[in-house]
Amino acid sequence: MITCRNLTFQYPSADALLFSGLDLTFDRPGFHALFGPSGIGKTTLAKIISGDLKASSGTVTLTTEKPCLYTFNRERLPGWSPVGRHIEKTTPAGREALREKLIPLFGLSDLLGLRFSQLSMGQCNRVNLLRYLLQDFDVLIMDESLANVDEPTRQAILYTLKTLFPKRLFLYISHNVVEVARFCDEIAVFRGAHQIPPVLQLPGLNHLAADPEPGADVLSHVMLEIMNAV
Amino acid sequence: MLSRRIFQFLIVYLAGVGILFAIKISMGLSDYVIPGPADIWIAVEAVFIRYIKDVLNTFSVAVVGQALSIFLALVVGIIGRQATWFGAMIKVAAYNVQAYPIVAIAPILFILLGDGVFTRLVIAAMICYFPLLLSVIGIMSEPVADIEHFYRVTGRLRWQLEVKIRAFENLNKLTTVISGSATLAMAGAIVSEFIAADAGIGYSIRVALYQSDLSKILVALFIIGITLSLYQGLLELLGAGLKKVWTTN
Repeated sequence: MITCRNLTFQYPSADALLFSGLDLTFDRPGFHALFGPSGIGKTTLAKIISGDLKASSGTVTLTTEKPCLYTFNRERLPGWSPVGRHIEKTTPAGREALREKLIPLFGLSDLLGLRFSQLSMGQCNRVNLLRYLLQDFDVLIMDESLANVDEPTRQAILYTLKTLFPKRLFLYISHNVVEVARFCDEIAVFRGAHQIPPVLQLPGLNHLAADPEPGADVLSHVMLEIMNAV
Repeated sequence: MLSRRIFQFLIVYLAGVGILFAIKISMGLSDYVIPGPADIWIAVEAVFIRYIKDVLNTFSVAVVGQALSIFLALVVGIIGRQATWFGAMIKVAAYNVQAYPIVAIAPILFILLGDGVFTRLVIAAMICYFPLLLSVIGIMSEPVADIEHFYRVTGRLRWQLEVKIRAFENLNKLTTVISGSATLAMAGAIVSEFIAADAGIGYSIRVALYQSDLSKILVALFIIGITLSLYQGLLELLGAGLKKVWTTN
């Protein structure tokens, strides 16, 4: 579904390459992750995949029918009407039932009458993610989209995404190694431009709500592999 | 807002008059050069009502000129916000034209158009147009990425929505710019009256100047200042009201 080949990127104002010779493939739908330290190029790669940025060289191939959307955690809704009205207005025809299903699952039922500026940061991120989930997409890149959301709500949202959208591909950018190890199917670990290869793909536990709790040793093993790869 | 504006003007005006009196006393100047309080009061009794009418005459020209400028600056600014060759051309032209003192071409306008209301209107509009245009272009060409991103990637970002988002996010800045342009429009109208018009407070000040009558000029300055303070305060109230309506409906 997403194939990156020999990607190189350098910001015009930077002295060094952000990454070079980057190869990456996500060939099935599911909940995958881009993981690595801050400033290593996760957001840049996400923007290249979604078409917001152009790579210095290399190719990105998306074999999807519907668009690839990129959302980030500092997005805002306009302040001229309440959150509920904005969500209604941006819901494509035929997705009203999905909207009504997602709102309580995201814990937003009591917030629809409020302005975006009246919400907490976690609530803002939930509202923002919800409106993206209602759009037409095959790939959704979530750049720290659940930052500032409390642990139980975040977990509930991740299980909801995996249950309700099994045929979509999610790329989750997060710095939370536990979360990434537990919930993601494949984890692309960024190692820096000087490392060969610059990105390693590791399997995650891909835990679902109906699955038994993963053992602590299994989770620790995946987390260690991720941390050793960085 | 309104009372604060008036209060600020009164402080500045009284400080200015106070400095004049201080100079008069310290240098021993005659009433002919700087009049005393009694002379100023006599001038108030003689010309206050007439000057109010003159200021309102000038003010009406300035308001119409400013309204024209705002409309034109919004239209050109909205077109010029785009990263196209046309947008770039408008920006470059606006930056270059505003660097020229527009008031210097006022005599040409009086020669071509005569000394009627229309010429005063054109000069008032031109003087406040370019600073307004630069501000509007600056505001309209600056993307509000964290709001616009969603609409852009989902194909909903029409130009009307883009303008609405940028105007809403910069409403305070726009209000300040529009309120500030009122002073420029008034200055343009007064300067045009200084040059050649036969009406308005600028014309009356010119007559007082020829008579070397500082008392009348001080009276005129007081009425101009109060009128502008009221107007700017009202514009700010309007901006605040608009924002309130926009954010609570």
